[in-house]
Amino acid sequence: MNKLAVVLVVVALLAMAGTEGMAQREQVRIGISLPLTGPASASGKAAEAGYRLALDEINKAGGVLGSRLQIFIEDDGNLPAKGVPIFTKFVTVDRVHAITGIFGSAIGVSIVGPAKLHEPLIAMLGAASPLVERGFEGYKYLFHYHPWAYHNMEAVFNFMDFVRTGTGASTIAILYEDGPFGSAGVGDTRAELIKRGFDVPFMESFKSGSGDFTALLSRAKRHPVDVLFWIGFDADALPIAVQSREVGFKPRLIFGTPASWPIGFEGNPVARDVSGMAGWTSASPLAASKEFVKKYQAKYGSLSEEYMAPMGFVTLTTLAAAMNKAGTTDKDRVAAELAKTDAETPLGKLRFKPSRLTPSVYQGFDSDLWMVFQFRDGRRVPVWPKSMAAGPLAWRWR
Amino acid sequence: MDLFLQTLANALIQSGTYALASAGLALAVGVLHIVNFAHGEFLMVGAFVAYWLSVLAGIDPIVSLVPAGAVMFAAGGVIYQASIRRVLLAPELNALLLTFGIGITLQNLAVLAFGATPRVVHTAYQLTAVTLGPVSVGVAPLITLVVSVTLLAGMYAVLYRTGIGKSIRAVAQNRTGAHLVGLDVDRIYLITFGIASALAAIAGAMVLVRIGASPHMGFGFVLKAFAIIVMAGLGNLTGVLWASLVLATAEAFVRTYVPGGGGAAEAVFFLLIFFTLVWRSWRAA
Repeated sequence: MNKLAVVLVVVALLAMAGTEGMAQREQVRIGISLPLTGPASASGKAAEAGYRLALDEINKAGGVLGSRLQIFIEDDGNLPAKGVPIFTKFVTVDRVHAITGIFGSAIGVSIVGPAKLHEPLIAMLGAASPLVERGFEGYKYLFHYHPWAYHNMEAVFNFMDFVRTGTGASTIAILYEDGPFGSAGVGDTRAELIKRGFDVPFMESFKSGSGDFTALLSRAKRHPVDVLFWIGFDADALPIAVQSREVGFKPRLIFGTPASWPIGFEGNPVARDVSGMAGWTSASPLAASKEFVKKYQAKYGSLSEEYMAPMGFVTLTTLAAAMNKAGTTDKDRVAAELAKTDAETPLGKLRFKPSRLTPSVYQGFDSDLWMVFQFRDGRRVPVWPKSMAAGPLAWRWR
Repeated sequence: MDLFLQTLANALIQSGTYALASAGLALAVGVLHIVNFAHGEFLMVGAFVAYWLSVLAGIDPIVSLVPAGAVMFAAGGVIYQASIRRVLLAPELNALLLTFGIGITLQNLAVLAFGATPRVVHTAYQLTAVTLGPVSVGVAPLITLVVSVTLLAGMYAVLYRTGIGKSIRAVAQNRTGAHLVGLDVDRIYLITFGIASALAAIAGAMVLVRIGASPHMGFGFVLKAFAIIVMAGLGNLTGVLWASLVLATAEAFVRTYVPGGGGAAEAVFFLLIFFTLVWRSWRAA
C-alpha cells in the first residue's frame, strides 16, 4: 500500500512537472482584427504590415516567454457584423492571450458586450470615438493606443492657433461629410474655432464620394475665407482640390483630415500645399521612426506613409514586451506591466495614463501624436508642430 | 445673380458627365430591355483602364477613352455571351439579379487587384479653368461635356442613319418581327451590349480626371443613371440629355440654395424618380 502511494505521488508530481513544463513552452497567441477589405482597407493593410514587421522582430529576439509568438489576423471589413464574431472567435476558439487591432469605432462599440463577458486583454490601435471610451467604463483590461476624437480636435485647434498667429488668418470655411465621421461634433468644432477668434462664415455638409463639390465651393467662394477645412474621406480629396480651382475658389490654405489620402495624390500638382493631419510621416525626424523606416524598407522594399503601419508595430512590440516583463500570460500581471510602458516609439513617447472620460481605460497617445504636413514636391512635408517641422507652412494662392 | 449663373454653369457641366454615364444604360434598356446594374462597374473598369494607361504609358485620359471603350466593348461582349443572353427571355428579375451579381463581382475583383484606396492621375488641364465674367468652369468637365454631346450625337446618327442602327431600332421595337424579317437578333444584342458597355467605360475615363478611380465609384453613378433613364423614358436615348440636365440642375440648386443641401442633394434623384413615376401614372389615368 505504501509502495503504491509512493508510486502515485511520484506519478502525480511528474505529471504536474510535465504540465508546468508544457505551460512554460505554450505558445503565446494574439488575435488581430483589421479592415483588410472595404473602404478602410488602406489603413488596415498598413497596420497589418506593421504587425508583421513587429512579429518578425519579436521572434528574431527570442519570441514571447521563450516561444515564437503566434498571431491570428482576421479581416473585419470595418463592419461590426464581422468584427463581433471575430472577437468572439479569438476568445473562444483560438483562446488568444490578448486581442489587438480594432480600427473602426463601430466595431469598438460593438465588442463592449462580448469584452465584458470574456474580459480579454485588449490593445486597441484605432476606434477614436468617445462612445468606445464610455462603453468600456469599469473595464480594467483596455489599452487604447490611438488618441480619442477629442484629442484629434485639440490638435486641429492648436494647429489653427498656429496658423492664426503665424499668418493672421481669421476666417475658416468648413465642409464636412454628413456621416458619423464628419458630422459628429462639427457644431462644437465651429463654436471652439469662434471662441479662439476665428470667423466661420460658411459651414456645409456633403455626401462623401459624391464627387461634385462645385456648388458648395461656389458658395464658399462668396466668402473670402483664409482656410478651407474639410472633414471627409480619401475619395473627396481630389474633387475638392480640383474643383476649388475650377470654380475659382482660392482659400490660402486647404486643410483636410481624411484617415488616408488617394494613391498618386502626392505627385499631383493640384495637391501642392494642400495640408493634412497625420500621426506620422516617413520624414519624421525621430530616431525611433528612422529606425522603423529602415526596417520597413528592408522587409517590404517600399515606404509607407500610413501612420497605421507604425501604430501596428508599436502595439504588438509593446504588448509582447509587457508579456516578457510579466513572465506570464496572466492578464492582470501583463496589464500591470503594460501600464508601466515608457517607450520611445516611431510615433513618439508612449506612456499610458487613465483616460479622460473613463479613467479605468488606459490611454496611450493623445493630441501630441498629430502633426500637420503639406504635399510638396511629391512628398508629405511636416510643417507643424515646430519640433517635427521639416519646412515652413506654405501660405499661398492669393 | 453671380451665384445663380455659376450654379447654372455647374449644372450644365455636371449634366455632361451624367449624360455620358447614362447613355449606355439607356441603350441597354431600350434595346435589350434589361436594367444593367453592373453599368457602374463597367464605368469603374473604364476608369481603371485609363488610370493604368496614364500611369504606365503616360497616355492622357482623353486619349484613353478609345482603348477604355474598346476594352469594355470586348468585355461587354464576353459578359453578354457568357451570361446576359441566357436570361433575356427569363422574367426581368433574373436579369436584374444577374447584373447586380456581375457588378458586385467586378467591384470585389477590383478591390482584390487594386485595393480600395482611390487612385488619381494628373493632367495639365486639371488645373485649368475658363472664366466668363462671374462664371468659372474647369476645362476637364468642359471636355467631358463636349465628348458627351458628341458621342450622343454620334449615336443618334448611327441609330438613325446607318444600317446597323436601323437593325438595332428594329430589334428594340419588336424582337420577333425583326427575327422574322431575317435579322440576327442575337448578334444585334451582342453589338448593342458591347456599345453600351463601351459608353460606360468612356464615361469612367472622363470622370477619372476629376474624381479619380476606385472600386466603389460606380454605384453612385448607376443610381443616378437609372433616375435619368426613368425621367427620359426607359430606352429613350434622346431624352437622356435633357434628363441629365434636369437632374444636374436640381442637384446644383439644392446644394446652393437649400440649407444643408450638400448632403441632401444626393437624395434628389430619388425624388425625381418618384415624381416622374407619379406624374406618368397620373397622366395615364
